[in-house]
Order: sequence, then C-alpha cells, then structure tokens
Amino acid sequence: MRRRPGVSGIQDAARAREQYRSVGNEVRKSNLEAMHEQMAVFKDKLEEFAMNHRAEIRKDPAFRAQFHAMCANIGVDPLASNKGLWAKTLGLGDFYYELGVQIIEACWVTRAANGGLMDVRSLLRMVNKRRGKLAEEVSLDDVERSIKKLKALGGGFELVRIGGSKYARSVPGELNMDKNQVLGVAQIAGGFVAASELERNLRWTPIRVQEVLQGLLAEGLAMVDDQAPEGERLYWFPCLSSGMHEEQ
Amino acid sequence: MDQPSSSGYSYPPFWSYPPYFTLQPVKDTRERQSGLWGQLILDYCRKHKIYVINTGAEFPPFHNPAINRRLQHSAIIAFLDDLVSQGNAEWLDKHKRQCLVLWRKVSDWADTIYNFVRTYGLTDSVMVVDDLSSGDDVAGTDLAGLDRTLLLRALKLLESRGKARLFKGDTPEEEGVKFFG
Repeated sequence: MRRRPGVSGIQDAARAREQYRSVGNEVRKSNLEAMHEQMAVFKDKLEEFAMNHRAEIRKDPAFRAQFHAMCANIGVDPLASNKGLWAKTLGLGDFYYELGVQIIEACWVTRAANGGLMDVRSLLRMVNKRRGKLAEEVSLDDVERSIKKLKALGGGFELVRIGGSKYARSVPGELNMDKNQVLGVAQIAGGFVAASELERNLRWTPIRVQEVLQGLLAEGLAMVDDQAPEGERLYWFPCLSSGMHEEQ
Repeated sequence: MDQPSSSGYSYPPFWSYPPYFTLQPVKDTRERQSGLWGQLILDYCRKHKIYVINTGAEFPPFHNPAINRRLQHSAIIAFLDDLVSQGNAEWLDKHKRQCLVLWRKVSDWADTIYNFVRTYGLTDSVMVVDDLSSGDDVAGTDLAGLDRTLLLRALKLLESRGKARLFKGDTPEEEGVKFFG
C-alpha cells in the first residue's frame, strides 16, 4: 500500500529544497565574487603593466599593437572612452583622436584624386610624414584601429578589403561586392583593367561589367584610358596606384 | 615620381599616370584633370618662357614617351579653353590653332615694362617697340623675348592708363612708344 504524504513529510521536503537553494546561492555567489575578484586583480595588473610601460606603449608602435591585442583578449578597450582610467593613465585617447584627425585630413586631401578610397599603406606614409619626425611613429595597426573608431562618427569612414590589401574608404555609400571584385581583378593586373578581361575573369555578362564600370567612373574611383597599345579602353583606379597621388 | 627635364623642370606625378592623357567622361574627374593640366601648362610655359602654344605641333608636356601616351587633341583644346575662360590664356585664331598663354597677366607685364622704363630713365623719349623685348637694355631681364602680341597688349593697357602713347609706323619695326613719368 502506498504511503500517503503526511504533514511532516511535506515539511521535510520543503526544508530540504530550501537548504539546497541556499547552498546553491552560496556557491553561485562565491563563484561570482571570486570571478569579480580575479577580474579586479587582472585589471589592476593590466593597469600596473600599462603604467609601467606607459612610455613604450606611446613610443613603440609594435609594443602598442601587442598591448591592444592583450586588452582585446580580456575584453578591455583602452579607447572606449576618453574619460576612463585607461585613457587617463595612458593618454592613448588623445593619441588616437589626434591620429583620427590626421587620417581624416589625409583622406580629404586625396579624395579628389582617388575617389575616397585610399590604400592604408599610402595613408600611413602620409600620416607619418604629416606628423613629422618628432612625433611618435604610427603603425599600420594604429591607422586601422583609428579608422575603425572613426566609423562610429558616421561620414562613411570604413576599412575595406580589396584583394590582399586594406583601404580606407572616406565617402559614404556602400562599395558593393561587384565593385570590390572589379577592383580586386584590377589590383592583380597592376591597377587597371579592360572590360573584356573582366568578362573573362569574372564570367560576367558585358552589361553587368559595363554597369559596374560606369558606377566606378561616376564615383570618381575610375578613370578611362583610350591609348592602350592593345586598343581596348582601359579603366584605371587611382586608389590602386599608391604613391602616384599622395602628394597632389 | 617627378621626372626632371633638361631645364630642371619637374613634371607632377599625374603626368606619369596614363588616364590623364585621355579626356575624362565624368564631369568632376574631368574638371580636376583640367585643373591639373592647366597648372602644368602655366608652370611649364613660365619656366621655359613660352608664350604661344601651337595646338597642331609637338609640345613636350603633351607627350610622355615613358608611358607611351599623348594628350588627345580634344583634351588639349578643352584644357586650353578652360585656361581661356579663367583669363589665363587667349585664343589667337578662331580655329584654335594658336593659344597665347598668360602665365603672367597682361596687367603684370604692363607693370614690369613700366618699372623697367622708369628704372632706366627711358621716360619722355620715343622708343622702338621691339627694343622692349629684344633690345640690349632688356637682355637678361624678364622682358627679353617677350611675345609681340603680349607686348603690344601690355603697352595698350599702359596707354589706356595714360602712362604711354603708341606711334604707328609704316612697318612693325618702326612702331614706337613714348612713356610718361
């Protein structure tokens, strides 16, 4: 015969559940506390590290890139806010703000020549030249990091990958896949391409090729050349001929 | 990137980029292209003291053998047209075969001439017009080799300002000018 639950049995079960819950809470709480504690220690250590190596972080671009990578691994963004302890201890916020302004300047100066698409290596050369010999040297990592931050401002700042290189895009508007692919083919060819080559290479219809090329022309990203020895019109992309337009 | 020529003139980087030798179909790009070429033409002419460009003849900046590109005739006309509309050049014929390049404005030439005349104390006497561009006195000055069209235009400007008076002669060699102090 089955035993019917008595009052005391029910009370026992409830008590046991209560105890389990409280023990569970204890464990959760202590785990959380331990984690907080660990994180706090970690953060302290990182800050200590940052303080101790402050000069190197500011002066040495390679060291700075490694520091950024370390911060990213534990989910700390030293550039997240200029008011934060990070920016205050390191002065990195100002460093990247300044760099951001210099990047915007460089993109603006060359925009007419390259249609607002600039090889990050040219950009790096121009920025370092502009900063002069006395300022801390800037690395490719710094420039790319800065462009990513500028994206938040709107205005179309963006890091775009074409083929094997990265480019700073400084005009609003999407660089769609088709345009990107055309630029990729031209990049391999040395900065220019003919329509027939695109049709062959990408297996596109002539209409599609023309549409994309016309779009690139209209945006100021391409220029035509009717004097190729082979006779067919060539499309040149100033953004792919780095160095050619830096000083203009 | 710059390519120095024999006279020490350095071509700008765009001169080595092939598409700049083809007239661009997109307006913004073409305007920029025209601006760069216009500046190149003015700089080159100033450096080499060239006053007239013959659009049918060879003109070194319009041909870059290193990249095998020649500035298209339609582009030459378009860019010179833009210089004309900016007041930096003038067509000498309606077929646009000859273009007077004003790398120094007519009024500036007038000032140069007047300053020269005063410096050398040549006011109040009649001079032969051509002596102002080829005489012994102007040798070594900016005026040496000045284009005749430009010289006469500057003199007429001085005349309109009451600082000079031109005298017609039977032949161009007899044309004279008198400056007032």
